[in-house]
Amino acid sequence: MKRLSWVNLDRRIYSRNVRDYMTIAVLLKQVPDTTAKIAVSGGRVDQSSVAKWSTSPYDEYALEYALQLKEAGGGDLVAITCGPDRSSKMLTDAAAVGVDSMLHVVADTSEMDSTQIQSILAAAIKHCGAEIILCGKQAADTNSGSTGPGVASLLGASCVGMVSEVGIEGDGFIAQRGISSGDERVVVSKPCLFTFDKGLTELRRPNVKGIMMAKKKVIESVSAGDLGVDLGESGVKINSHAPPPEKPPGQKFEGAESVPTVVAKLREEANVI
Amino acid sequence: MPFEALDFYDVDSLLTDEERMVRDMVRDFVDNEVLPKIEHACRDGVFPDEWRVTLGEMGVLGAPLKGYGCPGLSYAAYGVICRELERGDSGLRSFASVQGSLAMYPIWDFGSEEQKNHYLPKMASGEWIGCFGLTEPDYGSNPGDMITRAEDMGDHYLLNGAKMWITNGSIAKVAVVWAKLDGVIRGFIVEDEDEGFSAPEMKGKHSLKASVTSELVFQDCKIPKDRILPGVKGLRGPFSCLNNARYGISWGAIGAAQACFDSAKEYSLSRIQFDHPIASYQLVQNKLSWMLREITKAQLLAYHLSQKKDAGDWIPEHISLAKMNNVDIALEIARVARDIHGANGILDEYPVMRHMANLESVKTYEGTHDIHNLILGRYITGIQSFTRDLS
Repeated sequence: MKRLSWVNLDRRIYSRNVRDYMTIAVLLKQVPDTTAKIAVSGGRVDQSSVAKWSTSPYDEYALEYALQLKEAGGGDLVAITCGPDRSSKMLTDAAAVGVDSMLHVVADTSEMDSTQIQSILAAAIKHCGAEIILCGKQAADTNSGSTGPGVASLLGASCVGMVSEVGIEGDGFIAQRGISSGDERVVVSKPCLFTFDKGLTELRRPNVKGIMMAKKKVIESVSAGDLGVDLGESGVKINSHAPPPEKPPGQKFEGAESVPTVVAKLREEANVI
Repeated sequence: MPFEALDFYDVDSLLTDEERMVRDMVRDFVDNEVLPKIEHACRDGVFPDEWRVTLGEMGVLGAPLKGYGCPGLSYAAYGVICRELERGDSGLRSFASVQGSLAMYPIWDFGSEEQKNHYLPKMASGEWIGCFGLTEPDYGSNPGDMITRAEDMGDHYLLNGAKMWITNGSIAKVAVVWAKLDGVIRGFIVEDEDEGFSAPEMKGKHSLKASVTSELVFQDCKIPKDRILPGVKGLRGPFSCLNNARYGISWGAIGAAQACFDSAKEYSLSRIQFDHPIASYQLVQNKLSWMLREITKAQLLAYHLSQKKDAGDWIPEHISLAKMNNVDIALEIARVARDIHGANGILDEYPVMRHMANLESVKTYEGTHDIHNLILGRYITGIQSFTRDLS
């Protein structure tokens, strides 16, 4: 573990004192790949059985728009994650597409509740001096959707949820979000946090130059204690995990004589016609 | 189902983090931009131009070359790039092989400083496409007897002759052409707008349909004096290029084999005959296990060769063995995969017949299977068997 360094402290002061300097943070979570098989053992998801870990897809949209914000307005983009050692791969991948610096709060998050994780992430954001924060609306594994609003609350930042696009608007930022009657455009000033639904632009692919640059970037690795976070007792306990019920086997129909049966099933059982 | 690259011995764990990131980048490109379009490109007989753009944006062209805007990656990374591209299509990998190993490499190794600065950055970015003119209609395995001639006219060279089976020929801005000047093979850089140069496309291929194959025709083609490659004379020039391209092919063939294996495995698990998946029958399992065995051996061979290439501890015969073996097993795997798919195997709904047809070309180009055997035969016995006096 690396203790808080004077260099980082300087950066924090720097970002506060320079009016136009913008530090953007993107919060990333490593989750089982959406194609990975999930096994449940002893009432818990067996993480050791997960063959492939990836960045949570909604976080990828947040990363893409964080990159676009940086390109439009300049400043520094830091990727932050809280998770076990394996999560650092995700930060290196983020560096390959253009993230400037990476902060990894190394922690076993499997038994933490969302409030504890929000406390860690809020402290990490303060540590980096970021005032514009982007993250996914929910993680692909837990689907709780609490991290973004929770972190915004702890930071006292404006929170705009379920956005599909963010841009710079004057001295502030403008986000687009879908609502039941159409699209809503919301303008906020910093400090602000945006949680991303599916964005309009997919995360860019890295290139060789970015990959080689990423190799040279050092991930700052800290613990919750280094950030001064006292986690305390978990207030929320997950009772158990269970796999979804198995899908019933498909039914096969052949020949024109089966058409009435199929139509009846589609209408009465599947409710699709 | 998403593609899962067969890697029974976890050979990719031997790659560096950087090499695996390059792999994932190219794999993503193939999954999202190549595979959805490849059958259409084959039917139309075109190489989609957007693939050129993306290859340039990714920065994988001329992968192992350093400087002049080139990526400077390891040979292991170059191999992985070829493998992932050929998992999409051999035509796509051919484009990258020709651009990097056959057109950029000779300029990088044998070109003047001015030539390197002028051509390589734009070729690395994909802005300029390159091709390589060595094979002639009557001289394939025996390029040393080529007919194409260059004549020194004082203030320029005059090129006359024809090349055949030239990948990228009709779409290339830059052609590296090998011709005899005073009886010695030399490399010349020909540009698409040079007077007396034309590159008609060859049509009617049943193989590498998503790749452009052309003739190069030189009729009193005027080449400025500063376009000769100053750094090499004789067959060493083109053979140096071929060594690098053949190395890439030894990896690329694994990608095609992995694609065929993946398709055969999925098909055999879902195809029901006699009330059971055909994957449950011993004859099919025997075929799948043979594929796994050969792909695993090919992976180990290619990886070890990459380490020798990166260490500079290799001889051309090492590459001959790898190219010959890996293409040979890939072609046979494609044929067996087609067999497992039954009649469905001939449809373009599945990739196997496309790979099979492609690999027939790959077996022949860049040194035929038989020629590589003769190269190894000469290495073992010390006796060359390419030619003899039959008079």
